[in-house]
Amino acid sequence: MQDKKMLRLSIVAPILQLIILGYAASFDVSNIPMVVCDFDHSPSSRELIRSLTSTEYFTAVRYCDKTSEIDAQLDDGHASVAVVIPDGFEKDLGSGKTTPVQFIADGTETSSASIGLNYAYLIISRYSQRVVLESLIKRGSVMMPATISAEFRVWYNPELKSRNFMVPGVLGLLLMVMTMILTSLAIVKEKELGTLEQIVVTPIRPYQLIIGKLTPFFLIGIVDVVLVVFFATFIFSLPVKGSVLLLFFLCLIFLMTTLGLGLFISTISRTQQQAMMTAIFFFMLPMIFFSGFVFPIENMPKIIQYVSYLIPLRYFFVVVRGLFLKGVGLDILWPQAAAMLVFGIAILSMSVLRFQKRLG
Amino acid sequence: MAALNIMPIVRKEFRQIKRDKRILGVLLFIPAMMLFMFGYALNFDVKHTRLAVYDEEQSRLSREFIQLFFNSEYFDYVRTLQSKSEINELLDGEHVRAVLVVPSTFSKDLQKGRSTSIQVIVDGANSNAAATVLGYINAIIQQYSLKVMSQSFMRLGKQQITLPIDFEPRIWYNPELKSAKFLVPGLIAFILMVTAVVSTALSVVRERELGTMEQIMVSPIKPIEVILGKTIPYTAISLVATVMILVLGYILFDISIKGSVLLLSMVTFFFLVGGLGMGLLISTLVETQQLAFMIAVFVSMLPTFILSGFVFPIRNMPLIIQGITYLLPARYFLVALRAIILKGAGLSAFWDQAIVLCLYTVVMIGISSLRMRKILM
Amino acid sequence: MKLWERRQDEPQGISGSSEYAVVADGLTKRFGRFVAVDHASFQVKKGEVFGFLGPNGAGKSTTIRMLCGLLAPSAGSASVGGFDIAKNPDAVKERIGYMSQRFSLYEDLTVEQNINFYGGVYGLEGARLEERKRWAIEMAGLKGKENTLAHALSGGWRQRLALGCSVLHEPPILFLDEPTGGVDPVSRRNFWDLIYDLSHRGVTVFVTTHYMDEAEHCNTIGLIYGGTLIAIGSPMELKHSLDRYSVFEVACSNPVDAMELLRPQPWTAETSIFGAAFHVSTLNEPNVHMKIKRILLKEQIKTTRIEKIIPSLEDVFIHLIAEEDDRKNGKGSPRWQH
Repeated sequence: MQDKKMLRLSIVAPILQLIILGYAASFDVSNIPMVVCDFDHSPSSRELIRSLTSTEYFTAVRYCDKTSEIDAQLDDGHASVAVVIPDGFEKDLGSGKTTPVQFIADGTETSSASIGLNYAYLIISRYSQRVVLESLIKRGSVMMPATISAEFRVWYNPELKSRNFMVPGVLGLLLMVMTMILTSLAIVKEKELGTLEQIVVTPIRPYQLIIGKLTPFFLIGIVDVVLVVFFATFIFSLPVKGSVLLLFFLCLIFLMTTLGLGLFISTISRTQQQAMMTAIFFFMLPMIFFSGFVFPIENMPKIIQYVSYLIPLRYFFVVVRGLFLKGVGLDILWPQAAAMLVFGIAILSMSVLRFQKRLG
Repeated sequence: MAALNIMPIVRKEFRQIKRDKRILGVLLFIPAMMLFMFGYALNFDVKHTRLAVYDEEQSRLSREFIQLFFNSEYFDYVRTLQSKSEINELLDGEHVRAVLVVPSTFSKDLQKGRSTSIQVIVDGANSNAAATVLGYINAIIQQYSLKVMSQSFMRLGKQQITLPIDFEPRIWYNPELKSAKFLVPGLIAFILMVTAVVSTALSVVRERELGTMEQIMVSPIKPIEVILGKTIPYTAISLVATVMILVLGYILFDISIKGSVLLLSMVTFFFLVGGLGMGLLISTLVETQQLAFMIAVFVSMLPTFILSGFVFPIRNMPLIIQGITYLLPARYFLVALRAIILKGAGLSAFWDQAIVLCLYTVVMIGISSLRMRKILM
Repeated sequence: MKLWERRQDEPQGISGSSEYAVVADGLTKRFGRFVAVDHASFQVKKGEVFGFLGPNGAGKSTTIRMLCGLLAPSAGSASVGGFDIAKNPDAVKERIGYMSQRFSLYEDLTVEQNINFYGGVYGLEGARLEERKRWAIEMAGLKGKENTLAHALSGGWRQRLALGCSVLHEPPILFLDEPTGGVDPVSRRNFWDLIYDLSHRGVTVFVTTHYMDEAEHCNTIGLIYGGTLIAIGSPMELKHSLDRYSVFEVACSNPVDAMELLRPQPWTAETSIFGAAFHVSTLNEPNVHMKIKRILLKEQIKTTRIEKIIPSLEDVFIHLIAEEDDRKNGKGSPRWQH
């Protein structure tokens, strides 16, 4: 903790990480670059194209007249999708014949591809529907066929901004990095340097030693929470909808688990390098991946889903999302709070016991 | 020129690595684990979305309609609600991701030929999942709508309606839209970047911290020999890890290298060397392992994970951040990797990326060598 | 034991002279405004054990690091083994061995692996490496422990292993920077036996230390204080430098008070605690012995023994330091030099 550089780093780093992640990490798909291959050059084909490009989903970057150009554009990534309208499009529409419209997607970016395909399908089939209805009107039909539409309401995050999801999530990440990793590092560093032995020789009791070691990082954790809430509210326009007090309280419980883990890691590592590697690769990364932060848990094989129940971070994300985006209270979040509490106590006690055994 | 005496250092590094099993574990086991995770557990397809239904009408038709959603693996049935008030609790507590509300006039409207609409309430917190779920639901409803439309036409005695447009989707390079294919190149970039930068930085700083560097400096060993000796073992291990990922990717996920293996090796080699240079540079700037690690992670792992296009598409980022990504070698490497592995493209497709990569590598090696020399002399 | 192999191809360096192994001329090192070494000039004869003695922070390590090529001098020059350290560092490095106060072996490698590494670093291989390895292991007394991890060895063994590793390539000149720090006295003694052994084979040994008793073992001692070389000479010569004083060892009931009483006396030069007794050096005046006894008796301090002794190196050192301090403060005589 005396290391000035480390101190500066542990304050600057989270802020930077937060800002960058908040802005950069988004899966929102819009303005997908599209190649348009219109072989028909008719009002109808142009209208179809416009119905695609007038939305925010697609942006036409190139108009081509050879399908081979699509290869080049997709190969080097200048475009991610392409639409091909065959010659005779309008004519077929007029005579009631079915005409194929090809839509090509670059499958290497899977999420963009599938979302893009869905949008395209929707837009084109709506266009289809419209054509049918118009032709019916033209034929003087009185009876309109029934259609079903969907009326969507998006709760908590109406504009579907990734940021609103990422920022609270980053809080969990941050807390984990700062408290778990730094704690384990600090303790192991003393082990390495031999200063830990110095302390053990003094009349200090083990629990006093542990509290002394953990307190600075506990404080750092709290500072981080404050920072994140501040940034979220004022910079990302993402105020805490729920009770800020509750947020703090639940963060404290979460900190119990991370500090406990940090302590645990320090008991299984001999050198700082080991501690770092273990903390990051064997604890943090798996926890991030399996906690539902980036990848939905529902997708995972059942076994892994069960494992995810053991990860405190999972509950923390529910809590954080609930408080930032949904404004819920303890009545909804109590299962998560309880789970974190149980884990916190369990991990802390186990680590403390191990730590004491090591010292003795 | 006499042969470079790098073997003693190389051998020593290998011995040290072997002794600390954890480093080996990280370098070899973790990539494999990540590959498994990405292939099987972590993907962006949203399946088994938890869906609850509030059927106001509860007619045969409405039940038939609802069943459409659960016929596939995309949605999991959770519950039928008794009242609208339950919706809040379900969504607040993240018990379901979406709720379907079928209006009480559903079948009546359809029979009378009136249009009706289904209310869909979605938890927007995870926007990506929400957007995808919206898309699925939309698609299902749209399909049903068209079916209803043609059915009602037939009932009216008119001829069957054919859809004027036949939507033909084609997915290139990754027809089954397997997330793994998207993520594997990124995984390679990630692994290489992290091991190259972090291991090299730590390895040099560690010797400085412990004092053994001094002993080496006093001997006739030249700086270039130290540099090579220290970087070669980690280079070798990273390359082994890369090959392992590619092999596993082939076995498990059918990812074969469509393009030229030679080109792949060259590009990878350049990227790796650039990363090693960065690691060396970092090692000349800090004194303690702790700092070296934090800076290395901050400069290599985090940006590569978040900003290089590995997981999050660059196109969607704000322009300023996109500007930052231009500084990342991983960004260029990833484009080249995806082009070679998945698209089978040749150098012509990404020559501009390749040039930047080469430039970066040369600059990195240049700066770090200069600084290393200064320190070791 | 084999004879130390002489290098047949030893070219003549710039100094040409074959008598001196190390020649330093005005060697200076500045860190910003702090002068760590101030114009140190000295010569070390081939085959002798040269000790650099001084308190912590006096500039010993800095000097040795300059001579080894680890630090570039701010001013002055030096030649080691006939080669200028600034112009020809590589040639210097081939001819020297170095062992620092920090333990510079790889803790996570075994004894044998450490030897293999350093041997390889100096270009030893094959039969020669094997031969030197056996020598080093035997010299350090580590036979049977070849596969022990270095970090499992205790202090004394480690120092010997480090020494062995530093001379695998049989360098004619050996630099040792506080090699016996934190080692028990028996091991220290054994270590110095090894150093003598090497010296007898013609190796020039340049040692820094702050242990006075080790300094006694050296052929020539250089006393360094506050970055300045304040004296050079053999132990005997240095002790004789105090010939103009008489040094008494006084054992009494209250040494601290006694020293306080004697210090302001006009014939007292220095006083210093020495174990349970104390030393007082006085001008060579008649009957000082009596004067001391009388003064102490007046204050009821019982003296059990007052004995004139040959000054120890410590006494010399204290004197020289005090003189240096005086000089720096503007008073006092020019520096003593042999």
